[in-house]
Amino acid sequence: MSAMRDEKLEEMLRQRRVESPSVNLAERIILKAQSTPQSQAAPLGQSIRRLFAEFHLPSPAYVLAGTLLVGFLVGFNNPFDSTPADQPSAPSAQAFLYADEDAL
Amino acid sequence: MAVDWAEKDDGELLALIQTGSHHAFGTLVRRHADRFYRLAYRYVQHRETAEDIVQDAFLKLWEGPYRWQPERQSKFTTWFYKIVVNLCLDWRKKKRPEPLPEQIQLSDERERPEDAVIRVDEQRRLETEIAALPERQRTALNLCFSEGLSNQEAADIMGVNLKALQSLLMRAKTTLRERLGE
Repeated sequence: MSAMRDEKLEEMLRQRRVESPSVNLAERIILKAQSTPQSQAAPLGQSIRRLFAEFHLPSPAYVLAGTLLVGFLVGFNNPFDSTPADQPSAPSAQAFLYADEDAL
Repeated sequence: MAVDWAEKDDGELLALIQTGSHHAFGTLVRRHADRFYRLAYRYVQHRETAEDIVQDAFLKLWEGPYRWQPERQSKFTTWFYKIVVNLCLDWRKKKRPEPLPEQIQLSDERERPEDAVIRVDEQRRLETEIAALPERQRTALNLCFSEGLSNQEAADIMGVNLKALQSLLMRAKTTLRERLGE
């Protein structure tokens, strides 16, 4: 046999002979299983994994985007010196922070 | 209402097997036994042994159905191929390989007897050389050529990346070409 070509080798590999299985192979396995007890308890590790799988943690990207959005909303709704003009006596944060300095 | 077991996919059947359903187990076995038998046969080249290996694999699944973890395994067949391959490799480690059967059936009756003899001789040499390949190369060949799986599926089953699998296939084919071409 001369140097074997790739196609011929692949053809031979695809056509490898397999002896047919017994006609009752599947039934034999099923019958055997009927007399075999089954372990019903899930392993502890798997139970824990399944329990945690019930709680979906959001991905970090969503957490960051959500935090930024909430931050902007709060910021726009409560600007730093947004004391209404009709409430001059309302203490602003700035006045509060500089109160001591003024006193000095 | 009667349950149409054949309609259920592997994942559904496995979930039912975990609850102890013999019907689900039977459906899964009937659906896949021949496929996994073919794979086992290519390793052991012996019908009874291949059948025993397939039986062991399915009984392991029945005894410990929670080995199947759908959140970790992508596909039942991919996972089960691994189990059958491992059982075949274990068997080969324990037992000395048996000589190939002398009588290989001539499957095509239209074939001329002299052609059939040549083909059977080529098959026998091919099986001998495949059996002599390193374990991983043999597994790659069995999965890709004999089972007709894609390279990616075979790589998943073997737990290697695609490039590694392609390298295994190339080395196996090079070795076979050299040895069979002598």
